[in-house]
Amino acid sequence: MAKILEGPAMKLFNKWGIPVPNYVVIMDPDRLAHLGEANKWLRESKLVVKAHEAIGGRFKLGLVKIGLNLDEAIAASREMIGTKIGTAEVRQVIVAEMLDHDAEFYVSIISNRDGAELLLSTKGGVDIEDNWHTVKRLFIPIDENPSIEGLTELACDAGFEGEIAERVGKICSRLVLCFDNEDAQSIEINPLVIRKSDMRFAALDAVMNVDWDARFRHADWDFKPVSEIGRPFTEAEQQIMDIDSRIKGSVKFVEVPGGEVALLTAGGGASVFYADAVVARGGTIANYAEYSGDPADWAVEALTETICRLPNIKHIIVGGAIANFTDVKATFSGIINGFRESKSKGYLENVKIWVRRGGPNENQGLAAIRKLQEEGFDIHVYDRSMPMTDIVDMAMRS
Amino acid sequence: MSILANKDTRAVIIGGVAGVNAAKRMAQFDFLINRPLTIQAFVYPPEAGQQKEIFRGGELKNVTVYSSLAPALAEHPEINTALIYLGASRATQAAKEAIESPNIKLITMITEGVPEKDAKRLKKLALQHGKMLNGPSSIGVMSAGECRLGVIGGEFKNLKLCNLYRAGSFGVLTKSGGLSNEAMWLCAQNGDGITSAVAIGGDAYPGTDFVTYLEMFENDPDTKAVVLIGEVGGNLEEEAAEWLAAEPRRIRLVAAIGGTCQEVLPQGMKFGHAGAKEGKKGAGSARSKMNALRDAGALVPDTFGGLSKAIKQVYEELIASGAIKSESELDESLLPELPPSVQEVMRQGEVVVEPLIRTTISDDRGEEPRYAGYAASELCSKGYGIEDVIGLLWNKQLPTREESEIIKRIIMISADHGPAVSGAYGSILAACAGIDMPQAVSAGMTMIGPRFGGAVTNAGKYFKLGVKEYPNDIPGFLSWMKKNVGPVPGIGHRVKSLRNPDQRVKYLVSYVKNETALHTPCLNYALEVEKITTAKKDNLILNVDGTMGCILMDLGFPEHSLNGFFVLARTIGMIGHWIDQNNQNARLIRLYDYLINYAVKPERPVPDKK
Repeated sequence: MAKILEGPAMKLFNKWGIPVPNYVVIMDPDRLAHLGEANKWLRESKLVVKAHEAIGGRFKLGLVKIGLNLDEAIAASREMIGTKIGTAEVRQVIVAEMLDHDAEFYVSIISNRDGAELLLSTKGGVDIEDNWHTVKRLFIPIDENPSIEGLTELACDAGFEGEIAERVGKICSRLVLCFDNEDAQSIEINPLVIRKSDMRFAALDAVMNVDWDARFRHADWDFKPVSEIGRPFTEAEQQIMDIDSRIKGSVKFVEVPGGEVALLTAGGGASVFYADAVVARGGTIANYAEYSGDPADWAVEALTETICRLPNIKHIIVGGAIANFTDVKATFSGIINGFRESKSKGYLENVKIWVRRGGPNENQGLAAIRKLQEEGFDIHVYDRSMPMTDIVDMAMRS
Repeated sequence: MSILANKDTRAVIIGGVAGVNAAKRMAQFDFLINRPLTIQAFVYPPEAGQQKEIFRGGELKNVTVYSSLAPALAEHPEINTALIYLGASRATQAAKEAIESPNIKLITMITEGVPEKDAKRLKKLALQHGKMLNGPSSIGVMSAGECRLGVIGGEFKNLKLCNLYRAGSFGVLTKSGGLSNEAMWLCAQNGDGITSAVAIGGDAYPGTDFVTYLEMFENDPDTKAVVLIGEVGGNLEEEAAEWLAAEPRRIRLVAAIGGTCQEVLPQGMKFGHAGAKEGKKGAGSARSKMNALRDAGALVPDTFGGLSKAIKQVYEELIASGAIKSESELDESLLPELPPSVQEVMRQGEVVVEPLIRTTISDDRGEEPRYAGYAASELCSKGYGIEDVIGLLWNKQLPTREESEIIKRIIMISADHGPAVSGAYGSILAACAGIDMPQAVSAGMTMIGPRFGGAVTNAGKYFKLGVKEYPNDIPGFLSWMKKNVGPVPGIGHRVKSLRNPDQRVKYLVSYVKNETALHTPCLNYALEVEKITTAKKDNLILNVDGTMGCILMDLGFPEHSLNGFFVLARTIGMIGHWIDQNNQNARLIRLYDYLINYAVKPERPVPDKK
């Protein structure tokens, strides 16, 4: 899954003939003034200015300003750019035309196991949740694009009439093309608006997710996916992602502020169970982490150091199932180096380390990490005979 | 009995190095249970035509790499399974071809990061062709005592620890690869082990769902219970619950579901597998899956930690009901051990191998190379120089400070002698012909011999002989030389003479004699010889080769090492000439006609061949 920002989504809509309002994405308010000189719509339309960042609840944070003229939009941009929200900073804003409109509709496509489902309603806008019963659905099997006639019929079924139904059908058909060709996982347009005086449609707001694994066949994807964890990535998270993109196998890291139990766990399946075990015992996790696919020792070392730097942690869970092919000795040598380095920098004071792991070269790996006891680490090492998540129970009891 | 993979499974691996590694692991399992090699062929265009060496125990098998699937299947009609280890951008096409090949019934995709649209298409295609598609992102399939597909089960030792050499009574279904191994271990610890274990992969849209495999397990009489490890996201676990509840089932179901931590995490925060994502309004949450499975009659512990107990409980109930008859265990000590490598056996001192070569100068088996015992970096840090390394590697002795100063000067003095001499000219000629450095320098190097630079060893050798056999009898030495050797090596120069002495010789002799305390019997002897020979002819002086040879003998270097000083020193010059010619982008050179005396027969007709 990769959520993309409004700007790149609008660009993809444009590419596939889905009507969008005029918009610009800017980093410098002065640039907006120049753009105003060049573009009539900026001078003559009412404008909306939105922070172009992966920040949830922008409206409440004052990062969406509506009904502005150009000067007000420039002022709003100036105010927004540079604003810090937690660890995030607003670097860009999107300035779009506020199309005067007569009605708001809802249309979305969501991927499912056998294809996708198109959802359509005449009751778009902020109240869509309350009007969910009005939504008409059309299942689109993989590789079978519905006809414009079929989509127009769906529109009629949903309560659209006459020419509007025809136009909505056409927009839906383009949306299906966009969805299919851009390897999208979901597109939600809310609202899709219409100005009846000139029958102009526009997708005023849209959320789009694309399949980042498919990027190898999309030369024009010049954007990066935004964080899916409800906030922008922290610097430490970015660093681990950079490493992840360079190695065989993978390392992953997400911070959870305020937690006391840090996870340094292996495997996408087991790591989640470790997080569950902490929560089930009434603990709080300080992060989620995962290394898998036999990553290089230096990558695991970097992940270890990142985890050791988490503030106020009391335990580190070095957990994992019995690996199929991740070499325990090699990955543990990265962990050991990371612990040593962190300790020498003053981290890991009063932190208890709990280890449970099995897999290729498990005996050598566990023996090596057990030796840290002699170097003054508060470390407890167990092999496969210790049930996988029992080290969490022991940590929480200690 | 088993599902998916069994004794009749024969597989092709589509992919490169990861596939070959998997084949090696699979062959270890084949060896453990004494079955023929599962892997019959590889398909990987970049290495088509090669043979990959796969050990089945101590037996070395060669498995052919084909350029595409069709010829591999034509050669090996017994292949019924394909494993895909290609990268995500090529895996889909390979899977498609495999699905469309009539003989292949099962396709397991190990590839991670396959686009979801591709996975959906492949699933549909497999359905149309009546094929089983497992994965993407699957670690593989394990059928205890029958067949291993992929690296599932880990290293050889683990195969035994998890009792995978013989069938048990539990089926295993997981999304995660690591947890499939963990689950097999739990079934061996708390039950009697597994029949088959299948990892379906953690992607959002796996090729085959849990229900399909549950149905297969239900129809496998040896499987009495299934351990299913699911996670938040999608609805495969809910479907499994529906399947279980739909009608009375023969098999028992034990399940663990990951992702309950999401209940307390900040909204929108998700992690784990690609497919582990909760839908709107709590659909697909770990909790709702656990509840659905419990309602359907599955045994679902609250946490993963409860899984051991749950498996044990089900196992004991199945024994009590007579569904599982505890049979006498196989004697594990009778199972074969993986043959160790020669290195491993030698480490245990159980085999003697005659060494092929012997070295007495250096050793790189430790942290860093050691020269005659000394670590290279320590030599550097203690201020030693290249002359000392020469002393160590050529003479196994650390020279004294005075000695290394002499060695240094010998090399400095003989590093180059301009472009006209045979060695440099040879290198230049090659450089101008566009030859790379190592070959061009070797071209110059081949010139070193009796007439050019190669006299150092012989000079040292014969002056040493003189010192020993003809002390105080230079004429005796000279007549012995004349009779047995010819001209004295190290004596004589083409252009230099007594009146026009070689400054290098003058300097070296004076440096060694005046500024060091080196005892120089050879050099003294050669200077005495020079006095006699120059009396005969003015250019029969002690030349630089002779001087070097004598001094090096006096320094105690082995006789046959002496030419090495010229070779080493002149290499510096030859490399310099090669670099110089390349810097100038020098053109190809050939001799002008006027530099050649064509002393050939005049033109004449070729006679008819008889």
